[in-house]
Amino acid sequence: MFKTDVLVIGGGPAGISAALSVAKFGLKVTILEEREFLGGQLIKQTHRFFGSREEHAGVRGISIVKELKENLSANDNIDVLLGATAMGIYEDGTVTMLYKGEVRKIIPKKTIIATGAFEKYLPFENNDIPGIFGAGAVQTLMNIYGVIPAEKVLMIGSGNIGLIVSYQLVQSGVNVQAVVEAAPNIGGYLVHASKLRRQGIPIKTSYTIKRAIGKEHVEGAEIVRLDENWNEIPGTEEIIECDSICLAVGLSPLYDLLSHSGCEMKYIPELGGNVPLRNENLETSVNGLYVAGDVAGIEEATAAMLEGELAGLDVVSKLIGNEEIQNEIITVKKALNSLRAGPTGIKIRNGISKLMNMETEKESIKNNMTDLSHLKKNGTPDTVNIESKLPDDSVLLKGGKAIIECYQGIPCDPCMHSCPFGAIIKFEDINDIPKIDFNKCTGCGICINNCPGLAIFVINKDHTDATSTVKMPYEFLPKPEKGSEVDVLNREGIKICDGKVIQILDGPKQDKTSVVTVEVPKAYYGEARNIRVVACDE
Amino acid sequence: MRIGNHPILTFVRAEKVNFLYDGKEVFGYKGDTIAAALHALGIYTYSHSPVNQNPRGIFCAIGHCSSCLMTVNNVPNVRICITEIEEGMTVESQDKRGVLHVQD
Repeated sequence: MFKTDVLVIGGGPAGISAALSVAKFGLKVTILEEREFLGGQLIKQTHRFFGSREEHAGVRGISIVKELKENLSANDNIDVLLGATAMGIYEDGTVTMLYKGEVRKIIPKKTIIATGAFEKYLPFENNDIPGIFGAGAVQTLMNIYGVIPAEKVLMIGSGNIGLIVSYQLVQSGVNVQAVVEAAPNIGGYLVHASKLRRQGIPIKTSYTIKRAIGKEHVEGAEIVRLDENWNEIPGTEEIIECDSICLAVGLSPLYDLLSHSGCEMKYIPELGGNVPLRNENLETSVNGLYVAGDVAGIEEATAAMLEGELAGLDVVSKLIGNEEIQNEIITVKKALNSLRAGPTGIKIRNGISKLMNMETEKESIKNNMTDLSHLKKNGTPDTVNIESKLPDDSVLLKGGKAIIECYQGIPCDPCMHSCPFGAIIKFEDINDIPKIDFNKCTGCGICINNCPGLAIFVINKDHTDATSTVKMPYEFLPKPEKGSEVDVLNREGIKICDGKVIQILDGPKQDKTSVVTVEVPKAYYGEARNIRVVACDE
Repeated sequence: MRIGNHPILTFVRAEKVNFLYDGKEVFGYKGDTIAAALHALGIYTYSHSPVNQNPRGIFCAIGHCSSCLMTVNNVPNVRICITEIEEGMTVESQDKRGVLHVQD
């Protein structure tokens, strides 16, 4: 048995942030982590994060976790127990855990639960055979252990996880046959969808999986189209050839420890299922028991880190209290609110409102002046969308200009901060859609690899009399070589012409998002948005 | 199968770890979970459901779904997706309810 000031259960982004915010005030913190390593699901997030610059936006998840771990080990007030499973919380606050094969007791003054979430399941015929994975499992196999999860994957669900994991599968050399989405619109950020479409992967909205084919292992899947009432349309069945079906149909909070300690729980579909009631500083109905991160309601890692910080600060204010902490609490809450403020944050806002018995809001069209229906259905913008981002021809003839194909207000601002010339007009809100001052844009392309959505392209229409150049981000292997001929693809991943790579930037600043400049016949500058490296003659 | 070159990640496979899978000598790399090592070897079924004997593989890979339970070093119902391989470990498929042999 031992005593600690604050016990944090779960060593993911929320737990680590909570521990850091407590320990900097000199209190003793103990983190219990079930696995042999810290970082939770953040250690397999190879993509760049959204959010604001203060919260690591534009940085890959794997780099964020590295920084968090460095901050942890630099702090002597934090004790980390790896391979430690919390088993129970008693009425007096005592926590029991299984550690190195033994049951041990901890007596903390306050406890922060940051146990994260768990993949949801989906009912369909034959859904229990090997080869059917949660999307997170596939990500674990490939990004943590470097194991190829399957050859051909069918992804179910087009939320951010489905879209991001599909993209990461392609980066690992796996074929993604299609992304299937039962809703009429794509659920995740549209920039993620567009990234995938440029790889030629179809996103089939208003489709669902009917059954898995195979006895010992997945050999295929049958999908079917849904009408506007979510009923199957007979005769629209299709067989998809695949050896894996990946479910990305949402997460549920891992709330076991909370409900058994007597926290009042409420079922909020918008937050992923059962979540604990808590006050706005994340203390639950059980005195001294806090929550942070996905266990408090499904969001993403940036929100989890902020929640961890908020819970930690409130714990400190209760234990040692001072004015300064109240100001910090206000700052963190502001950051959380602005992260959730945009049009894509409506689900979270409504979930929290329901939880707090406050009024929910209707989806507003205010933020979507442009019609995004084609983009939301297919993952590719329509011509009106595309033209809205293009400057006059006279501007395009003045040299390279950045075209930001970002149509949806999402909480993200690295492009604006990355531009050394102030050409991306300063945001009033983190959910603003970037706008360019073409007079200031030099076409340098620094913003290209800073955009987490990989949605920026620099077009130089008049490279020669007959050709234009397009600078684009590229995150696949093999990398193209300077001077080589490549296939040039459009926004749907279809080859439109041959092109020549005239420059490739791939240094530490690009951090593995290569910036490739491709020369294309002039007719194609508006469509050329991806390349395929052609195998060299052996 | 393992990933060779990756555009973002580098995989370190420094130390081989040998273990027994259903009596056969197999190997993975230090830091692998049993599930990752077996999956890399092309082994996707780890147990059969006790009643209907349906094949079971990995589902969540984070220790919560109980789909990947195996008998490890004679201990049944071990979650192989979060248990790391160790030299000389015995890993066995589990087609019945696990029985824990408690020593007197």
